[in-house]
Amino acid sequence: MYGIADLDNCYVSCERVFRPDLKGVPVVVLSNNDGCVVARSNEAKALGVKEGTPYFQLAQQFPNQKIAVFSSNYELYGELTSRVVSIIRQETPAYFRYSIDECFMYLDGIELNQLQQWGEHLHKRVKREVGMPISIGLAPTKTLAKIASKLAKKFEAYRHCCMIDTDYKREKALEWCPIEDVWGIGRRYSAKLQALGCKTALDFAKHHKDWVRLTFNNINIVRTWQELNGEDAVPNEQLATKKSICTSRSFNGMISDMDTLRTHVSNYAARCAEKLRQQKTVASIVGVFVNTNMFREDLAQYWNFQEARLVTPTSSTISIVKAACEVLQSIYRPGYQYKKAGVIVMGIGPDSPIQQDLFDVNAEQIEKMRRLDEVVDRINRMHGSETIVIGSQQYTRKDGKGKAEVFANAIKHDFKSKNPTTRWSDIIKLK
Amino acid sequence: MSNIKIIKGAFESKLELQDASIVAGFPSPADDYSHDTLDFNRDFIKHPEASFYGEVEGESMRDAGLNDGDRVIIDRAVVPHDGSIVVAWWDGGFTMKYLDLTHRNEGYIELRPANPDFPVFKVDNPEEFEIWGTVIHQIRTFEKL
Repeated sequence: MYGIADLDNCYVSCERVFRPDLKGVPVVVLSNNDGCVVARSNEAKALGVKEGTPYFQLAQQFPNQKIAVFSSNYELYGELTSRVVSIIRQETPAYFRYSIDECFMYLDGIELNQLQQWGEHLHKRVKREVGMPISIGLAPTKTLAKIASKLAKKFEAYRHCCMIDTDYKREKALEWCPIEDVWGIGRRYSAKLQALGCKTALDFAKHHKDWVRLTFNNINIVRTWQELNGEDAVPNEQLATKKSICTSRSFNGMISDMDTLRTHVSNYAARCAEKLRQQKTVASIVGVFVNTNMFREDLAQYWNFQEARLVTPTSSTISIVKAACEVLQSIYRPGYQYKKAGVIVMGIGPDSPIQQDLFDVNAEQIEKMRRLDEVVDRINRMHGSETIVIGSQQYTRKDGKGKAEVFANAIKHDFKSKNPTTRWSDIIKLK
Repeated sequence: MSNIKIIKGAFESKLELQDASIVAGFPSPADDYSHDTLDFNRDFIKHPEASFYGEVEGESMRDAGLNDGDRVIIDRAVVPHDGSIVVAWWDGGFTMKYLDLTHRNEGYIELRPANPDFPVFKVDNPEEFEIWGTVIHQIRTFEKL
């Protein structure tokens, strides 16, 4: 059996740990730079707050509502969610953390007739010890487990843990699940499936395998179909590495000068490199995009994306930042007001013996860079992110004298909560 | 020794004292009786996932020896009993008091300070009240390093 533990409204739940008074009231968390809503409590969803609502429209759309608003505080979310993962590690035979708020669990070894009770126990333990609610889905395949977790979240009768262990339950669950909510069915495929008459997961699962194969000619769609029919088909290794990593942000205001733009892009590239190292992978392609504000029809519009291939696949901050800056240089056009930029790294593979390119034989240099990154990562973990950054990541100081500001100080976060689990200065005060 | 540098950081494994013995010297007879070094985190924080820190503010728990500025360790996995020192959310903030369950069957509980100058809180509406965790240790620093 597989299980998935899903943190309910993750960022909102994190904020509520140190604000018990926000239980039962609408809460939203904003994206970086306080741009738009990225997380909503159930009460905010019930009010009709949509994901992606720009912050400035919130007060206009809901003039008479008291909505608690937070800037995103990833330091807090990262720490609290790792506590949850640590509890899962103790309670499961094997697990895999899939994202900040989802964890797959391999439950062979726990008796089938104990599983429901075990799931409810896990929920209770996480709720009591960390203070955050989770929903647990249990099923013979990962895709079905995802649907089960949605059911557990939606209906209180499941007591936070839903198990699909009979064919009857499976069909009931698939009938309930809209096709676009099935794990692994992207937006593109769900549009196509709907056009072909598959409104629910059950409509799709009832088709013949040959039909699926001929219509889509795509191994992943066939696997999803198999999983919906109870056959374990998505390889576990496939979960582990992401095919591409993207770091992008909308700016607070608009930017036209190359210098600031380059600093932003350097930071996004550095973040991509860090993520690559975290999952022990390297990338061979670095792409950069920029675009102007398409809502401002009164301004000249421009967007562009280009990529550079790295001679040697790498996860080195210096190499990836350098490549990203070169790409930016080639797509930057003066005279435009830029609203957003991003860095995407692709061609991701494991960081095992990297094939040394004939023209890049400087193995000693590569090894030095690797060790440098290792030390920088360690220091940044210990003393807070951005303790050490490379020069091009630094912003011009507010007084204009030289460059010293790090990214965290350069972005807008007017409603940021404290960090009571990572900074002594922020621990809770007891009256 | 000249090429050994001490760096402050997160180490994956702890330094074992026996590893530091001098190469080519006689093996220490104590090696056979080695035992892990006492470790505060390991031995006193039993539930790291459930443990949080707090700072005492004010004098309401003075007679329990909890002074302004002391730090406490709160364990949310420990179920508080009558007489436990608990952290509770009360009136818009965190408070630390003795938990008094004497009147539980009459429909209310009390939070008692350890200082006669402070009032006892009577809690009969669980809606605006939550016991957040149980205080298990206190830390007071005497020498600032």
